[in-house]
Amino acid sequence: MAEGLTAPRRQADDGAVSGRALGDPGACAQAPGSPAIHAIELRKRYRQTVALTGLSMTVERGEVFGFLGPNGAGKTTAVKLLLGLVRPSGGEAMVLGAPAGDLRTRERIGYLPELFRFQSWLTAREVLVLHSRLRRLPRPRWAGAVQDALRTVGLSGRGDDRVGTFSKGMQQRLGLGVALLGEPELVVLDEPTSALDPVGRHDVRTIIRELRDRGTTVFLNTHLLAEAEHVCDRVAIISQGRSVATGTLDELRGARPSVRLRVGGLADGWWETLDRFGRWTPDGDWLLVEDVAAGRVPELVSSIVSLGGEVEAVIPEQQTLEERFLELLEEK
Amino acid sequence: MTAVWTIATLTVREAVRRKLVAAFALISVVLVVLSGWGFYRLSHNVGFTSGETHVALPEAVILFMFMFSFVVALSASAIASPAISSEIDSGVLQTVVARPVRRSEVLLGKWLGMAGVLAAYTAIVSGLLVAVVYWASGYVAPDPEVAAAFVLAEGLVLLTVVLLLSTRMSALAAGVLGVALFGIAWLAGVVGTLGTTFHVQAMRTAGHVSQYLLPTDGLWHGAIYYLEPSWFISQQLAETPGAQGNPFMSLAAPSWPYLTWAGIWLVLVLVLGLTSFERREL
Repeated sequence: MAEGLTAPRRQADDGAVSGRALGDPGACAQAPGSPAIHAIELRKRYRQTVALTGLSMTVERGEVFGFLGPNGAGKTTAVKLLLGLVRPSGGEAMVLGAPAGDLRTRERIGYLPELFRFQSWLTAREVLVLHSRLRRLPRPRWAGAVQDALRTVGLSGRGDDRVGTFSKGMQQRLGLGVALLGEPELVVLDEPTSALDPVGRHDVRTIIRELRDRGTTVFLNTHLLAEAEHVCDRVAIISQGRSVATGTLDELRGARPSVRLRVGGLADGWWETLDRFGRWTPDGDWLLVEDVAAGRVPELVSSIVSLGGEVEAVIPEQQTLEERFLELLEEK
Repeated sequence: MTAVWTIATLTVREAVRRKLVAAFALISVVLVVLSGWGFYRLSHNVGFTSGETHVALPEAVILFMFMFSFVVALSASAIASPAISSEIDSGVLQTVVARPVRRSEVLLGKWLGMAGVLAAYTAIVSGLLVAVVYWASGYVAPDPEVAAAFVLAEGLVLLTVVLLLSTRMSALAAGVLGVALFGIAWLAGVVGTLGTTFHVQAMRTAGHVSQYLLPTDGLWHGAIYYLEPSWFISQQLAETPGAQGNPFMSLAAPSWPYLTWAGIWLVLVLVLGLTSFERREL
């Protein structure tokens, strides 16, 4: 695993307590300021199907955390475990400092499920009032919270329309509004843009950035890598029920940074001196140097110049998240 | 309890918005108009002697209530069967149970809301029936409010058992099974009555046991008893051979131990439903 990535096993070892059942109030007691989410070897088996084989990860407060993986990797199962909708077969998880599924902690969590519907016979405003009540918001705050949610997701003009008349995209927007009700500390979004058009996706990204700006933790479960690249501070890549890599986007993408240079005037015999910077390959007028250590590109350029070379262009190249993602999945 | 109340009021609002209340109102109007016409014809039929009319009126009221109890039971099954399973399938419940509410509060709220709708429906139709029968014939059954309570209890038993089934089965399966259980229990009650008439112990035991396993038929016989004037029972026993085997007659009120058992049964099944839903993985 590349430098900078956090190994899942290492995270597990760092856990305060391990081996206790999920939901045990005494397990892994954490002080205020504990991570938003801390999972240790979380496992889930549905009869013959193993959905999670040992998920370990830590999501810090205030960050936008992308939870990436192919279909069937166990992402939605993990989300359900974190929210207490399903029981784990093993391992443990703490959410906002309390055991996953803790009733009172749910007051501080907003959740947008992957597959959901609201009562079609209620208006959007009534759905939001219902969830304000269920979320135990004080009654005087209902009107303001509902109005804020409608405005945030662009449904101000449709608040009194019945949900049954909404398109799928509008229902998705309403779902996001419900998740944001009352400014939760942690917002869990399971494929939030799956039903949205490009404008809707852009709006969701804007909302996520606004949430980060006000210190809200966002746990974004998605299989859309571009979405994660746009908004996430850190991501975990999930494969076959466990995390195979965790880190910032740069850490993930920069696992093997390369630089492409257009160089003239460099004698053939001198090129070997570039070995100390990385693997190099001539490509016509271009020179591709791979595995360049971080921060050594200026030194590489000055070395070429000092060898008599004329550097006309320098293009840093990084793996795309998609390339790294596919590479990690293949490795596993 | 706030969450229970929230879900209960939501359930009642759903019944109103989704035209369930309107359907009940329509059925009520049809029932009342038909019964008014029927009882008027019965009491003003020149072909009947006054004695025959005297006997026919209690029988007609019992038959009407039997039909109505069937409507109540079917309605209970129809509204309870999709309450949990369909909302899990559609994803409605996932948004609710992720909130700081216990699943038991959700189920209890739904039960209370549906029970409230069923109680209002039973009370209104029973009240209208009493009024229209009195208007058409001048006859008033001895304890119609107690009989209506038994019909409601019968509906609540079915509502509770179907709600339990709905935590584990599809709406269709839960609804069909609920109605089938209701029908089997009624049939077993008839078998038990026949067993009493013809002194067949096995049949009598089967009827007796079924009334404990699913107390709908036992409660229905309670409703019958409170619709029968005391002279009617005496007269039927004295003048009608095999009156004891009549499934639309009841010679005694349900005993307190039996009623206590029915109450315990309902609470047990409700608790079973709560536990089942708590354990269900979403």
